[in-house]
Amino acid sequence: MIAMSRSLLLRASLRYLLHHRWQLALALIGIAMGVAVVLAVDLANAAAKASFALSSQQLRGAATHRIVGVTEPVPDTLYRKLFTTPGHPPMAPVVLTHVRVDGHEGRVRLLGLDVFAEGAFREQLPGLIQGEASVADWLAQPDAAALSHSAAALLGVTTGGALTLQRPNDTYPLKVFAINDDDSLASRDLIVVDIATAQAAAGMPGRLSHIDLILDDPAAIAWVTTRLPASLSLIDIAEQTNDTAGLSAAFELNLTAMSLLALLVGVFLIFNAISFSIVQRRRLLGRLRAVGIRADELFRLVMAEALILALVGGLLGSVLGYWLGQVLTQIVAATVSELYYQVSADAMTLTWQSLGKAWLLGLAGTSAAAWFPARQAARTPPLTTLSRTALEDRTRALIPRLALLGTGLLIAGLIVALYLPGGVLTGFAGLFMLLLGAALITPASLRLTHGLFTRLPLKGLWRLAVRDLDRHLSRLSTAAAALMIALAASVGIAVMVESMRGAVSDWLLGLLRADLYIVADDNLSDDATLPTEVVQQAPLLQQVGTHSSYRSRKLQIDGRRTRLIAGELAATSRAGFEFTARGADDPWSAFDRGAILISEPLAYRLGLTPGGMLSLPTPNGAQDFTVAAVFRDFASEHGRLFITASAYRQHWQDPTIDTLALFTTPGTVAELMETARERFSGRHALLFTAADEVYAESMAVFERTFRITEVLRLLSIAVAFIGILSALMALQLERRKEHAILRALGLTGKQVSRLIVIESAAMGLLAALLAVPTGLAMAWVLTAAIQLRAFGWSMPFDVSAWPLFATVAIGLVAALSASLYPAWRAGRQAPASQMRED
Amino acid sequence: MQRLLLLSVLLFLAGCEAPPSDTATFSPVGVDEGMGGQPDPGFERAIERREFRFPRDHGPHPSFATEWWYFTGNLGDDDDRRFGYQFTLFRVGLTPGGPTPDSDWRAHQLYMGHLALSDIDTARHLSEERFSRAAAGLAGANAEPFRVWLGPWSISGTGDATFPITIDAETAEFGIRLQLESGSKPHVLQGEHGLSRKSAEPGNASYYYSHTRLPTRGRVRIGDKEYTVEGNSWFDREWSSSALAADQAGWDWFALQLEDGRDLMFYQMRDKQGRAQRFSKGVLVGMDGKAQALTLDRVTLTPLREWPSPDGTRYPLEWQLRVPEHGLDLNVSAAFDAQEMRHTVRYWEGAVEVSGSHRGVGYLELSGYAD
Repeated sequence: MIAMSRSLLLRASLRYLLHHRWQLALALIGIAMGVAVVLAVDLANAAAKASFALSSQQLRGAATHRIVGVTEPVPDTLYRKLFTTPGHPPMAPVVLTHVRVDGHEGRVRLLGLDVFAEGAFREQLPGLIQGEASVADWLAQPDAAALSHSAAALLGVTTGGALTLQRPNDTYPLKVFAINDDDSLASRDLIVVDIATAQAAAGMPGRLSHIDLILDDPAAIAWVTTRLPASLSLIDIAEQTNDTAGLSAAFELNLTAMSLLALLVGVFLIFNAISFSIVQRRRLLGRLRAVGIRADELFRLVMAEALILALVGGLLGSVLGYWLGQVLTQIVAATVSELYYQVSADAMTLTWQSLGKAWLLGLAGTSAAAWFPARQAARTPPLTTLSRTALEDRTRALIPRLALLGTGLLIAGLIVALYLPGGVLTGFAGLFMLLLGAALITPASLRLTHGLFTRLPLKGLWRLAVRDLDRHLSRLSTAAAALMIALAASVGIAVMVESMRGAVSDWLLGLLRADLYIVADDNLSDDATLPTEVVQQAPLLQQVGTHSSYRSRKLQIDGRRTRLIAGELAATSRAGFEFTARGADDPWSAFDRGAILISEPLAYRLGLTPGGMLSLPTPNGAQDFTVAAVFRDFASEHGRLFITASAYRQHWQDPTIDTLALFTTPGTVAELMETARERFSGRHALLFTAADEVYAESMAVFERTFRITEVLRLLSIAVAFIGILSALMALQLERRKEHAILRALGLTGKQVSRLIVIESAAMGLLAALLAVPTGLAMAWVLTAAIQLRAFGWSMPFDVSAWPLFATVAIGLVAALSASLYPAWRAGRQAPASQMRED
Repeated sequence: MQRLLLLSVLLFLAGCEAPPSDTATFSPVGVDEGMGGQPDPGFERAIERREFRFPRDHGPHPSFATEWWYFTGNLGDDDDRRFGYQFTLFRVGLTPGGPTPDSDWRAHQLYMGHLALSDIDTARHLSEERFSRAAAGLAGANAEPFRVWLGPWSISGTGDATFPITIDAETAEFGIRLQLESGSKPHVLQGEHGLSRKSAEPGNASYYYSHTRLPTRGRVRIGDKEYTVEGNSWFDREWSSSALAADQAGWDWFALQLEDGRDLMFYQMRDKQGRAQRFSKGVLVGMDGKAQALTLDRVTLTPLREWPSPDGTRYPLEWQLRVPEHGLDLNVSAAFDAQEMRHTVRYWEGAVEVSGSHRGVGYLELSGYAD
């Protein structure tokens, strides 16, 4: 009996699904899209991470610790001192710098190593030079360079080929000495040279980027630390990786959150598809109940159906996700490479882990989505199963309860995101609660808004359409909620990006007050300084009114690489600072007395407020500085600090300058640029930049950063678009009989078509209108909570009308497109044939 | 003379393929390929006799391709615990001439160091190898003041004087710190007034002198345990730009200090069939420090026992060495068998005991046996 009923159930279910291919397809697409986006983002993330991990793993090899300069590069005399001291641990000196190679876009890494020190550290890299060439030549030839196979392909060279490194005033020639078969992606952007060559090419005589060490016990660590001068520090490699990975973690989290958003939309779609199929099958289910199928059997039937859908959808989604993942990896790789570190776009590999994660999410989402409809199908007694209104009444009764729950979730989400302590994760948790809450409120909001619609003085078909909509609201509300969430996310992200764009632009405009910047230009070194001649004479040029000068250097604070900038600031430069927190004193007078200005991210991370003390590592040991004020700054999420030139010179004993900002008398910028170029550029490596160029370049970087965000936003809209399409199409197709009756009552085919279009449009509009406040709330959370938690950036909330209009338009277009096919069909077919069907 | 093969191998650091790397250090030498090549013609060659001058000649000779400071010795502590040690710093000229002065790290030479300690009573042999470029102060050599160093391993004179020489070489596992007095014997010039020919080809020779008996005291360490020791060391100095002839396979080198105060050095060059070649020779140093040359026709050398190393290489570790005209009929045998140096180049070098007509101690080096 059980076997029979099971096969009966399965057959009934199968026949139904095959009979409603459209619906089946759309449900599958919903699941597939959700799974695909999650998988794609996961793959792209994993690719970026793997590429980074591999590269840093290969770069650091077996090293556990690293000696780095706190304020300056490591002098190679320290290496000699340690190397000639008995009992030294395994050590390897490293010169690592970024260079530009003629004929190649972007920078690559130039890695200088001492092959004799490498054995214990990086197995592959010495392998690079053990090609057919001899160690003698490797050491003696100042142009010998080794590449991995993939790097050679990237740079388009073969053994014996030439590479030309660009330097400020000249070039440095390299010859490809050996190409390693190793096709590791990590060494893709790596040119390996002897450490002497690296020093010469990078203009770093006597200096090392760092010293790698293998320290496996506290005694070994102590051995090193007791021999380090104050200007150098020993860091745990794991910490250093955190530093570099810090931003990539935030970036990754961002992407993951976006992909979950897509899944959330997907889940709503699945819910919609399944609950719709229940409604549609009410007769069949009622009959099954009537012939004695038990409630729990029905429940299991619906769940089993959903799971099969999830499996098939998951499979489709995997294929789609793999393809999408490749597209996303390209974009992520491009963005990450430009902004953080070189990532290879072909690093993407499909892992069971990623697949499993996406499938599981798809399965869980589908089960969750199917659970409510399945229960609904099971719990209804045989007779009422037959009645659609009964089902809809039931749903309708739920609406207030859902709305209440939703409101609670929404408020809780806001509190969690804005006030609860914790990192970015807490912020995202709050954001999801907010979105879920908003989704639960959607049916109630729809009813409310619809109520307003009905009061509009509408006539004829319009009136019919609006009134008619009310009857379908219960079934449409899930689709509407899905659309609403996708649109809201789109609004939220757009407004957040817009706010940030505005804030960054304002900040740049404030910062870039000078007319001309003269910067020490050295592609190869991060630590170039301006020649004294330029520093002394440029401010004296005829066109120059006032000037500011800067000296910037890396500073390790709290395990992160911050930037210390010593500035002699003209009044105009000072006016460009926007303080987000200031003490009782005037910040600038405190600054002039030796206090420091710290950027918002640094203040946020260290929990510092004006009046607080910050200890900075100086060549003479740690030194305490008072914080005068906190300034808004988007230059670095790791943080920046300003100090007066005199205080800097006192503590760092460094009189050099690396940037001059010149202010001209009006109308003489071009002239000044010309004069300055003529005077200095022939003899020195200098970069002359006008403020607007810096501005344009910075904004371009900004746009690149958010390119991926934009893509994901469009993706979630696409998912929602398909969702709304499927829901509306299914609804209208189901109503064929109803339409036939309308035809029979005297409406022309055209009128029925128009009715369908108007109804759809109204629903799209409703969802879009609801999406606007939800999206704004989301944008608020993104700017006030997520950005702050992730980067320490606060920014004014800046809403422009454009993304809001765009959202409403997208909602309308989606709804309208969804209605086209049903409208066309309804208008064409003869009333009689439609009535007979079903 | 001895470590010629070693050096000729090092000379051609043509890493035609990555060497087996069971050691942690980077190994730049392709052993098989290093044997037959010729050094860069830009290096000076040992063709004529030269006038040795000291302390200048204790220092480096960078115009030659290879050079070494080679110490071996037998030591004992108060409880009569016996040790042998070998400490060598090799200078390897890679490219003739000075390096481009664009970086302190630019190097045309490298240094290789071999350190071994034989704990004879427990038959334990400890050894380590180091490499460094001769640049940036990491490794190098000076005549005045006398100092040769490779990282923390060093050989240094005292003030302006060469002697006493301090040897300081530590590893995580073991270490030596020894002071070598000049003793009563002056240096001995090997070969023809210090020109030691290795084959028929002119220039295939080295400049070679030895201090055959240097009273030594100091400390050796194994793990955490230190031993205060004394005994005698043997110090060999040799530089050249030569390589092995095509038909030469390796050599057996003996450095013996007899109880009657005489010292004997003899090396036997072997061809690929294992026969001794006529370029085999040696020297017998009397109690007064006077040296007498030994040629192949006056010496008979017979292997008595072979020892198979763990990987199957068969080293002759017991020999009969006879020099009838000096009344010597010696049995030379390894203090213990397992004293093989398994590093970039594989060879056997260890402490030996001398019995027979005379008693004594010494060092034996066997090269060209391993694949």
